[in-house]
Amino acid sequence: MTDTHSVQSHHRARLLFDAGALHYDFGPTHPLNPNRIRALMDLLQCSNLWNPDDPHTALALTAAATEEQLTLIHSPAYVAAVRELSQPLAEGVNMLARQQQRSELASRYGFGDSDTPPAIGMHEASARIAGGTITALSAVMGLPEGGTFSEEERPLHVFHPHGGLHHAWAEHASGFCIYNDAAVAIAYVLQASEAKILYIDFDAHHGDGVQRAFYDDPRVMTISIHETGRYLFPGSGDVLEMGNGSGRGYSVNVPLEPYTEDDGYIEVMESLLPQLITAFAPHVIISNHGCDTHSWDPLTHLSLTTRGINAQSKLTHQLAHTYCQGRWVALGGGGYALYRVVPRAWGALWAELSEQKVPERLPEDWVERWRKVWLNEASDQDEIAQEVMGKSYSLSEFPTTFNDPAEQFPPLPCRWDINYINRQTTGLVRHLLIPSSIRQAFPFSRQRSPFSDLFDLLHLNRSSTPSRTRVLDTKQGQILLRDFCPPSLIERLRAEAKLNAFARLPEREHKLMLDIAHSQDCSLTVAHTPAGEIIGQVTIAPADEWWEGIDNLYEVAIEVSANWRGLGIARELLAFALTLDAKEDMIFFAIGLNWHWDAENLGISMCKYRELIKHLFGTQGFREYSTTEPNVSMEPTNVLVARVGNRVDKHIADQFLNRLMRSTALTGM
Amino acid sequence: MIVRDIMTTRLIAVEPDDTLAHAITLLRQYHLHHLPVTRKLHRKSPEGVLTTLLLCEGMVSTQDIDIAAAAAPGRKNEQALWQERRIVEVMHHASLRVTPTTSVSAAAQILVERGLNCLPVVEYELIEGETQAVLVGLITRSDLLQALSRAMGSSEPGMQLDVLLPPGDIRSLANTLLLAREMHVQVHSVLATPDEQGNLKVASLRLGTINPSPLLVRLRKEGIQYSYGGSLKEDGTPQR
Repeated sequence: MTDTHSVQSHHRARLLFDAGALHYDFGPTHPLNPNRIRALMDLLQCSNLWNPDDPHTALALTAAATEEQLTLIHSPAYVAAVRELSQPLAEGVNMLARQQQRSELASRYGFGDSDTPPAIGMHEASARIAGGTITALSAVMGLPEGGTFSEEERPLHVFHPHGGLHHAWAEHASGFCIYNDAAVAIAYVLQASEAKILYIDFDAHHGDGVQRAFYDDPRVMTISIHETGRYLFPGSGDVLEMGNGSGRGYSVNVPLEPYTEDDGYIEVMESLLPQLITAFAPHVIISNHGCDTHSWDPLTHLSLTTRGINAQSKLTHQLAHTYCQGRWVALGGGGYALYRVVPRAWGALWAELSEQKVPERLPEDWVERWRKVWLNEASDQDEIAQEVMGKSYSLSEFPTTFNDPAEQFPPLPCRWDINYINRQTTGLVRHLLIPSSIRQAFPFSRQRSPFSDLFDLLHLNRSSTPSRTRVLDTKQGQILLRDFCPPSLIERLRAEAKLNAFARLPEREHKLMLDIAHSQDCSLTVAHTPAGEIIGQVTIAPADEWWEGIDNLYEVAIEVSANWRGLGIARELLAFALTLDAKEDMIFFAIGLNWHWDAENLGISMCKYRELIKHLFGTQGFREYSTTEPNVSMEPTNVLVARVGNRVDKHIADQFLNRLMRSTALTGM
Repeated sequence: MIVRDIMTTRLIAVEPDDTLAHAITLLRQYHLHHLPVTRKLHRKSPEGVLTTLLLCEGMVSTQDIDIAAAAAPGRKNEQALWQERRIVEVMHHASLRVTPTTSVSAAAQILVERGLNCLPVVEYELIEGETQAVLVGLITRSDLLQALSRAMGSSEPGMQLDVLLPPGDIRSLANTLLLAREMHVQVHSVLATPDEQGNLKVASLRLGTINPSPLLVRLRKEGIQYSYGGSLKEDGTPQR
């Protein structure tokens, strides 16, 4: 990145700090203590990372969230209850009866336990926090609620440390959260613009409230990477929670094993986020940076250090610039190692947003100040809680450096098992939620049998030339078919406007095809016009992890632009792509998932579409197989078709048929 | 728990004289696998209120229809005819029935032992001198699974705590519940299942808290054994 760029974007990152939100306070013994934000702001100023008086890096809160904005997500009755409980009980007659009434109200709306007790002034404080997130998101989206900026001054990234109250539900408070600021802001922007919004939740707890709010909406993709809910609050967040109705496929959950460490975490994150973002093509990213994933956190079992936590913001930053023209809002979130982790993690997050470097050592006066606070208030509880969570292996000291020194965090005994299970989970998420052609453009390092090398796909046509062409006459003019396309050819061609089934934008679709062409073990066949527009494509690629261990098994995916349908191109293209000498030595399969179909565009029902796919592949000798494969079995209109070549070893064919019906105990649990 | 607590009461029913085509439409439209077959009976109460009762005649399932379709002659012009057949020709009489006061465990036993997916729930009434079975609901395997999932507290956000019960002694469970109450921790559900010898070994609690440490510390002090998350074992295997 050039210097001019970094100076510019430095001025285009802003931090929204609202002192009024410090009243979001449940009392001194509560784990969520606003002192963590005070320690953060102090650290930012002591280490010269942020200056509150610099008008170029501060973003002012425009207004607290209004009733109207809050009720986009929350029920009016709930908001009324929060308002009521937020007021002190007035002295007067019937005190006892009113008190009784109040505690009934509290327990009906989720304030009945010690997690989220009713606190005086909580409505105002939470409405300010929700307002802050609305301001932040509106500012990067260029909406008036974000304040008025010239186009050059409009902030690209905003950090709002108070935000990220992701557990609040429509009708009740939960897990320290009252108003779901991220959900309210997203709902507000959905209403005010055409944007598609990506929400990424790095908090160790599942982002259940945000997921619920948009579970059926394909304009919002929620991705939550969290510790498995087998034991941990809130218990939800299984991979199979994938969204409902037209939102199927837009809720992504990656439950990680307890005691996951940096390397395992980074591997999971890097093998999912870029692919999901390519598939979704959002306009803006809003991320929750709960740092309760840290090894010192008293509320969870995850065992990251600042290295893993900083990798989250680094990757998100990069993705925001690659896919969203930089539009990115970062929120705080959980984080209950109040003084030892939160200020350092979020200080580094702000440094990432504003493209500054954090100093190696923490400022001495800061350490002195907050070490005292920690010793007085939190160190004993920290130690006990760490022991209770089974995390007593890491040293209990007050840090003096911004980043955790690796030697303080020795490797854990069962790292191998944990990483193994996490990899399986990642494989399942890739399999279920990433469209096949995107999966193939981002290959996963796979373990293959040593014999599979004998069968390199590039040598499928052993006798004929490696790349063939054919001319096809259609009613809309001549088109050319070409198989085993080299990357250089794809570079010279471009994708037709309606060729967007997988990546949703023709340019991205083109990028994907280019990646597939580069990939050693995939074959790409395209149909293009003489003018150089790609109007259809077939990819043949090795089957993904779910099918691991079956040799010579390839997945076929086909796509034809909506402008060129009904001309018989799909059939010709598929026949052409499958004209392979080695066809009879291979097993091909294709999966049709109704949430990838644009049946609407064609004006036919899902059942009819299914028949269409069956028929198309039927012309090449594919037939339908019933299967327990989780994606296919999820909806009756989904379909799996396969073709087992007649020279395929019977043992391998049986292996394939068995795998079709294998029990779906998927994650090794 | 009795059948009335968990049964489906939204009844989509067909009549014996309806066609199979009609049944297929309903099965598709409502994503169902079974339809009760009923006869309507209109009755006036002594106060003059008119009510419609559904008298249970039997059940028709997707399987019955599949069989009817498969048995139809293969020639093209006759193929559509099977859809014109009447339900009374293919339905089965569902002689196994339960009442709303049957216990859920008994209903579950019947479903599993007989390999059924669905049972009609009826109330027997004396109508015009004859005992008639009036359909009031259905109980399916899905209803049972939902009941199980609710019993495990999955509808509320919460965390899972397993309390170990020493043989023949459930005091640790009782004490845990008392402590939870004392510390204002909500208990969403408690589930303890006996093993083959009939002993309770573990009670699974769903607690509505994000911050369990204070409670866990107290449990330790009281000497109550529990498991929460895989504690790291030295032999290198995470506890599942």
